[in-house]
Amino acid sequence: MSTNRRRMRVASVVAGIGIVAVLAAGCARGGGSPDSTDEGGGAAASPGITDESITLGITTPLSGPTAGPGTCTVAGITAYFGARNAEGGVEFGDGNTRTVEIEALDDEYDPQKAKANYDQLKSSVFAMTAGLGTPTNRAWLDAAIADEVPQVLIMTGDPIFSNQEESPWQLGFVPIYQNEGEAFGELLAGSAEEHKVAILSQNDDYGEGYVEGFKTAIEGADNIEIVKELTYEATDTSVDAQLTELAGSGADVFFNAMSITPLVISSLQKAQELGWLPSWFLPSNTSSPTAILEPGGAAAFPGVYTVAFAQSAAAPTFAESEEGAAFLEQLNEYADYPDVPAFPHCVWSYQIGATLEEVFGNMTEPTRENFMAALRDVSGFTAPLMLEGSTVDTTEDGQPAVSTVQVQKYNGRGYAPAESWDE
Amino acid sequence: MGTFIQLVIDGLSTGSIYAALALAIVLVNQATGLINFAQGGMAVLSAYIAWVLNGFGIPLLLAILAAVVISFFLGAVIERFLIRRFEGGDPDTAVVATIGLLTLITGLCAWIWTYNNRLFPSLFPLETVQIAGAVISVRSLGTIVVIVAIMLLLQALFLGTKLGLALRAVAINPASAAFSGVNVGRNLMVGWGLAAVLGAVAGVLVAPQLTLTPGMMDSALVYALAACILGGLSSPIGVVVAAWLIGVLENLAAVYVPFIGHDLKIAVPFILIFVVLIVRPQGLFGRKAVVRV
Repeated sequence: MSTNRRRMRVASVVAGIGIVAVLAAGCARGGGSPDSTDEGGGAAASPGITDESITLGITTPLSGPTAGPGTCTVAGITAYFGARNAEGGVEFGDGNTRTVEIEALDDEYDPQKAKANYDQLKSSVFAMTAGLGTPTNRAWLDAAIADEVPQVLIMTGDPIFSNQEESPWQLGFVPIYQNEGEAFGELLAGSAEEHKVAILSQNDDYGEGYVEGFKTAIEGADNIEIVKELTYEATDTSVDAQLTELAGSGADVFFNAMSITPLVISSLQKAQELGWLPSWFLPSNTSSPTAILEPGGAAAFPGVYTVAFAQSAAAPTFAESEEGAAFLEQLNEYADYPDVPAFPHCVWSYQIGATLEEVFGNMTEPTRENFMAALRDVSGFTAPLMLEGSTVDTTEDGQPAVSTVQVQKYNGRGYAPAESWDE
Repeated sequence: MGTFIQLVIDGLSTGSIYAALALAIVLVNQATGLINFAQGGMAVLSAYIAWVLNGFGIPLLLAILAAVVISFFLGAVIERFLIRRFEGGDPDTAVVATIGLLTLITGLCAWIWTYNNRLFPSLFPLETVQIAGAVISVRSLGTIVVIVAIMLLLQALFLGTKLGLALRAVAINPASAAFSGVNVGRNLMVGWGLAAVLGAVAGVLVAPQLTLTPGMMDSALVYALAACILGGLSSPIGVVVAAWLIGVLENLAAVYVPFIGHDLKIAVPFILIFVVLIVRPQGLFGRKAVVRV
């Protein structure tokens, strides 16, 4: 084969990969499609439950760029029920004590794979839970409804999962993005000073949700002006250009609605390089003190704020508390996760485990219908490792299991509650 | 003006990382005629090796140098025991083998070090200098200087040394090269070893910015391949210029072309590729291959 032809062939392969990359960047949003129905519920015990055990399914990214938070989602809940099983099991409201088994499959944050995983699990598990990702969970939303399989306490801030009419077999766990954005907006609107705000957001439902919530909260507040608003793609390797542009706006507050860990670190560094030192708002899943703020040099800024409902395992005081130490020990022993997690998702899924145990205790029949009814009836439940003021409440339609968030301010080591902007 | 210069230098800095990877791809291609899709994965592995050594208390620069040496041998070993089985056969089969290698190395890194982000210290300080109203980081400048030095070394290697000549001869016609007394096997190993060294450099340059994860180089690899095609696979200078062009144009287009903006900027390199391939199929700096029949 002539070298020229070989080059052309190589060129076409590379061009093909390029097209795939562009498409992948554009197709961040997944769509669901109705699928074949499968007889799910029934009068007798539902699939995945016996008198001795219950099996829960998870589809979440365990490899690829989102694997860090993804493996954490499995680790937390596995640790929780690992410890419960070791004590003999979980007591159910029907009088049986059951061990809880977890079956987790890797979807690589790919909606197609998530759907395939669901199809594989749906008849052998009692309920699907804890999985991370908006496009991936959306991919099998319709199928889960048609099959009447619970898709509950999942980790996505997309409001659709908490709307009972659209999603009768679903319930989100973490606060919807809008709630977090709103909390920031309220804090800022309550300030006695004038503020100019610059916004950088992820170009998908995640970023849009945050910005929407923020704008709702500052509507009518005449001390706030949004001076510049830019977006980035989740696939970008650098946001230096955006930071340069935003720094030119002269904003004193920067809302960085970003979900990609390395990009948050490089944003913090870039802003310092540019000599731009605003106050920061960071979403709950990208504000870890040790994994993000320290390497980013966040102490250089006048204030870094985040919203949270759970304690941060990466905060220095965490391991010193009794609950925190128990969590880290169980994570190591039952989930084979020796590190202190840099992502909040381990703590969240641990809390999902506790919430499920609470629901199991109220189930009177081993059926999916009865489970859903019990699930929608949790109010004022304080899961382990929750921040004061946050609780699990599943009774309000349109809201996920956890909807109250606390604004917190970075104090150089960990976070402390921030009641108002000017304190 | 300040913003413009800032964007250009930042673009050059990002482009330099694509360039390091692209140079490694060119090197393997020049030595073996293959495109090595595993180059990004090998770069990540090298960065992990440097990170582990640094963790043992070895100073960063020494750890990086040690990782570079280890990478050379790893590259050579991969060529000798894996890739050589596919050489001389259908080039497409070998390409698929390198894609398999990429998956394997990424999986291996994840298995050993998990997907948690690891902090990798930067070779350059976080300080900045003022140039014409723009604030330029020492890291950006350092990255650019490293890449220029490597590019010049490579160009000198290919054009000015016996080893370079032998590498090129082996790539163009292994059989004739062997008849002329060139040790084909050894040259192939050296080519892969050198490429792994370049990958290691790319890895340690990008790791402080993106934090170390098994998939760290995935998107950089796509850009590096784009730079290879744009610059021409036979020219080290060409791919570096192309990588810089991609980095800078991406930045400028995002800010100054409202239609493109930050959302569509990923498409910029690929539009460039289509245009260049239509006009100059051998790339901007590539040579047209002529075969006598």
